[in-house]
Amino acid sequence: MRDLIVSELSKATQEFARGVAEFLPRLLVMLIIALVGWVVARLVKVVLRRILRLVKFDRLSENAGASQLLTQAALPSSSELLCRLVFWVTWFGFILAGLSALGIVGMEDLISRFLLFLPRLLAAVGIFFLGMIAASFLSRGALLAAVNANLPSARILSYSLRVIVLFLTVSMALEVIGIAEQTVLVAFSIVFGAVMLGLAIAFGLGGQDLAKRVLERRFPDQEGKQAKEDELSAL
Amino acid sequence: MAEESILSDDLLRQLISVGEVDILVGLPTHNHAKTVAHIAQMIRVGLVKYFPRERTAIFNADAASRDGTSDLVKAASISDAREPSALQSLRTLHCISARLPGTPHKGTALQAIVAAADLLRARVCAVVTPETTSMTPEWIDRLVRPVYRDSIDLVTPVYRRHAFDGILITNLLYPVTRALYGKRMREPSPGDFAFSERMGAYLMGQDAWRQELGQSGAEFCFASAAIAAGYRLQQSFLGAKERAVNHSTDLVLAMRQTLRALFWSLDEYYPAWSGVTQSEPVPTLGSEYEVTFEPMRVNRKRLHEMFRAGVNDLGPVLASILTAPTLEELKRCANTADATIPYSDDLWATTIYEFAASYHRTVISRDHIIQALVPLYRGRVHTFLEQCRGASAQDLEQNIEVLCQTFERLRPNLLAIWTKPEGGS
Amino acid sequence: MSPLADAQWYKDAIIYQVHVRAFQDNSGDGIGDFGGLAQRLDYLQRLGINALWLMPFFPSPLRDDGYDISDYYSVHPNYGSLDDFKTFLGAAHQRGIRVIIEMVLNHTSDQHPWFQESRKSLDNPRRDWYVWSDTDSLYHGVRIIFVDTELSNWAWDPVSKSYYWHRFFSHQPDLNFDNPAVREEVWNVMKFWLEMGVDGFRLDAVPYLMEREGTSCENLPETHQVLKEFRAKIDQNFPGRMLLAEANQWPADLRPYFADGDEFHMAFHFPLMPRMFMAVKLEDRKPITEILKQTPKIPDICQWCLFLRNHDELTLEMVSDIERDYMYDEYARDRLMRLNVGIRRRLAPLLDNDRRKIELMNGLLMSLPGTPILYYGDEIGMGDNVRLGDRHGVRTPMQWNGGWNAGFSSADPEMLYSAVVLNPVYGYQAVNVDAQHRSPHSLLSWMRRMIEVRKSTPVFGRGTIEFLSPSNHRVLAYIRQFGRETVLAVNNLSDSAQAVELDLSLYKGSILVEMFGRNLFPRIGELPYLLTLGPYQFFWFRLRKI
Repeated sequence: MRDLIVSELSKATQEFARGVAEFLPRLLVMLIIALVGWVVARLVKVVLRRILRLVKFDRLSENAGASQLLTQAALPSSSELLCRLVFWVTWFGFILAGLSALGIVGMEDLISRFLLFLPRLLAAVGIFFLGMIAASFLSRGALLAAVNANLPSARILSYSLRVIVLFLTVSMALEVIGIAEQTVLVAFSIVFGAVMLGLAIAFGLGGQDLAKRVLERRFPDQEGKQAKEDELSAL
Repeated sequence: MAEESILSDDLLRQLISVGEVDILVGLPTHNHAKTVAHIAQMIRVGLVKYFPRERTAIFNADAASRDGTSDLVKAASISDAREPSALQSLRTLHCISARLPGTPHKGTALQAIVAAADLLRARVCAVVTPETTSMTPEWIDRLVRPVYRDSIDLVTPVYRRHAFDGILITNLLYPVTRALYGKRMREPSPGDFAFSERMGAYLMGQDAWRQELGQSGAEFCFASAAIAAGYRLQQSFLGAKERAVNHSTDLVLAMRQTLRALFWSLDEYYPAWSGVTQSEPVPTLGSEYEVTFEPMRVNRKRLHEMFRAGVNDLGPVLASILTAPTLEELKRCANTADATIPYSDDLWATTIYEFAASYHRTVISRDHIIQALVPLYRGRVHTFLEQCRGASAQDLEQNIEVLCQTFERLRPNLLAIWTKPEGGS
Repeated sequence: MSPLADAQWYKDAIIYQVHVRAFQDNSGDGIGDFGGLAQRLDYLQRLGINALWLMPFFPSPLRDDGYDISDYYSVHPNYGSLDDFKTFLGAAHQRGIRVIIEMVLNHTSDQHPWFQESRKSLDNPRRDWYVWSDTDSLYHGVRIIFVDTELSNWAWDPVSKSYYWHRFFSHQPDLNFDNPAVREEVWNVMKFWLEMGVDGFRLDAVPYLMEREGTSCENLPETHQVLKEFRAKIDQNFPGRMLLAEANQWPADLRPYFADGDEFHMAFHFPLMPRMFMAVKLEDRKPITEILKQTPKIPDICQWCLFLRNHDELTLEMVSDIERDYMYDEYARDRLMRLNVGIRRRLAPLLDNDRRKIELMNGLLMSLPGTPILYYGDEIGMGDNVRLGDRHGVRTPMQWNGGWNAGFSSADPEMLYSAVVLNPVYGYQAVNVDAQHRSPHSLLSWMRRMIEVRKSTPVFGRGTIEFLSPSNHRVLAYIRQFGRETVLAVNNLSDSAQAVELDLSLYKGSILVEMFGRNLFPRIGELPYLLTLGPYQFFWFRLRKI
């Protein structure tokens, strides 16, 4: 009886040892790959940082207003952020490749799905970034136009435009990732409303005389005397 | 080539039949039916009266007018003029008319006029704006003669204006041109001017200039190109500048056009103006400064309002453009309890210079930078009007002179911030 | 030839203006004469002209080149005898060349027997033959014609102690046409020459015949009346003879001289001539088209006389001040060239001896509506001598060859009535008939060919004219039409090559035949007809519809 237990135990131990022996090299391979990946990712990060400095990425994001947002959120600058993101993504990719070397069943599938997901993630980030730039530009433009046309509540106009564009951007990004697709529908409706609002602003600016006259009729006390045009000509 | 799109087949045919001319008068129009007939007649009388032996042609570059402007130009003939019948032309007087393609831009019209002058080998090309109702035939003589007889390259006008007409020029364009380019040119963005064949050829050869000209606000490009390239300048006193009563001036559009041209030229001609140390007068034919004081309706309160609203609402935008101390002072200016805005000469000059530098560095979208200046300009107008309340012509001139000297004094500041290294973050 | 051969021969005429004195000297005295002129008729026939206009050859003290006549019934002995003239006249007619002579009616020389008698006393029967006055205040304000020499239209006669009226030189007293005796005698003079066989008269200075107080004394209705009387008599007694008016007036004032076809047959178109020169300098057809558009229509039997130059200065009376200044500045920068109100230069020097310009101007002369007159010597491009005083510079001897006195006379050079032109460019050794005869490409040969082409069709002399208005203002183009004949003349007035598009839609389908080389040019189609012309080039096209 004891012999059986011993032999079974030794067999099991042998099998375990064999399994471990088989696994260890793979683990080693995985660790090596991970190490290599870390080095590569670091290199890529450094190179990318250089590139971004060259294309003045920070300034671009400053224009977009992204920098301000990040500083408010106590996050590092956008180029730094991007570098770190790329670093982690690259390293993670290598780790995944290493994991596949482990030969764990089901891993491959998971990895491939993750790798398919990656471009969409990057696209979403890109959309988000572009959206930020657009929101900043459009809102600033609207602000200036509204101020120069002497429209009341110019700031509110500008801010709401910014919010709408950002919202659209976020929903688009989310849709690309594949999260909350229903929400996108809702977002779209809101965007549609925003476009309408934008048109209204455009027409308001273009027909500001008419709008002024309408407002004069509605708020005669405030607007009446002040709305008269100057005879001054600048040139 | 851009030229191919400006010169249609029909225009080319007309240029061929005219051949070579000594004097070309360009008339860029866009829906100017109310005033253009008078202008065309004045041009013809001027040419026949003062240059009867020269080969002359009038070129109406019409940017898709829909009110029959080009027909009116063709129809105006000398026999309608109120001149004595002793006026006789020895030669055929040509009138070329072209409808320009594309969007109606004054810039395309000017481009076509310069190209036509080049092809016709005109010794002088004069450009006349179709808006002035006070034009007389003598204007042609005063614009063309210095170029034709005295080898001047660019003749800019001097008008008798209303004291508060053209504040953008007296408070911005003139001081900046004077301080940075070193030339005391009263009208650096003229509607009526004349240039020589040599200068025309030079301008045609500058690709950047040609592209820029295709936009609007192009007149300033002429002046700045001439100054930067060292051409001979002269000013001629023309007379009163009056426009049609219903002439509308959209301030934002005017500023966008003119300032875009101004800032572009500062970028383009930096090597030329960075070395200038002081300003010199431009030789002037006739009086240099005349002013009228008819009563004019001005809504000062509105100016004040828009200035205050602008400074406050545009805070974040201005923060990207101006330095912190300047913005501080500006805010204080805007939010005073007084009825008057203390927008001093110094602060104004500093504002303009910082805007110019920011434009150069493109801190934010360039068009937005210009738009942000509009409310500040309104504030300056308010101050200027207060300054000149009850002033005589001499006082007015003195005020402008002081302003110009301020600009000249603060010039080094611009040079300092212009070459500031890129701000990283 | 029978005077009835063609009643309107003057419409097809090509007139050659010549002074007997300047053409050929037969007698060897240094002055041209009728013998010499008769000798040279072959040359004229070969040239192709068919009418001669002779400058005055009557006896005269020659203080105004023969326009001061002292005997109307004879020939100045310098030029031969009356018989010599008759011989010449016969020889001319034999060669088909008609002869037009001068008839100076307005005034005579003060050496004329009529004036000698008239001034003798107040009772003299010829007293009233001239216009006398005790004061010089009559006809006040009337313009002086010879502004460079005369100060007044009245001259004081010491013999009769009164003033006499003279519109020209003071030695040319005006005849008084209010006097029927004067008119009678003048008719006798005309009759004398017409009976001899002369084909026509150029009546000199006709606007000034009559005077009336308070007028300009020019173009008066009374003057026209007198002229109509003469014309009626001529028509009655000598049908087919022609009257040519010398009246330097604006076209509107010239029109009355044609009346209803019962006054003059022809008149010089003075205003057109300077404008042709101006158009070539300006390189713009405007001066020519304008003046021709302002020219009034004349009766069918009448005709304009066109000319480029003549024995007088190129007159600038009929142009505006601005045009006169332009002409002076462009054509007569040297003040010596200016005389009275004109420029005293020949055709070739005026055109800078540019062969192309000379051809162009002659082409215009031959194709514009009217009868062309060639001034002697211009067919070879003779030059002038402005230093000879008055207008003698354009009246130098004809240059026949490069030899003795240019072949003009066998006399000693010092005896010539005028020096021959000597300078290397225009002198007789460079410019002469013999040399140009030898070359088929000389100006003379070209003129011959041109006259031949002109005579090949009646269109030029008798046709209508219609101007085309191509957008290229440096090209002058017009259509001449007569009956079924249509000719298109296109002239490049500039010294650079030109392209021109002509609207010939009315003549669509016609083939163009160039008239000098008789080559075919493309048919007129839908599009405007494109022609290209070299500097100063011109084309004459016959339009043929086949």
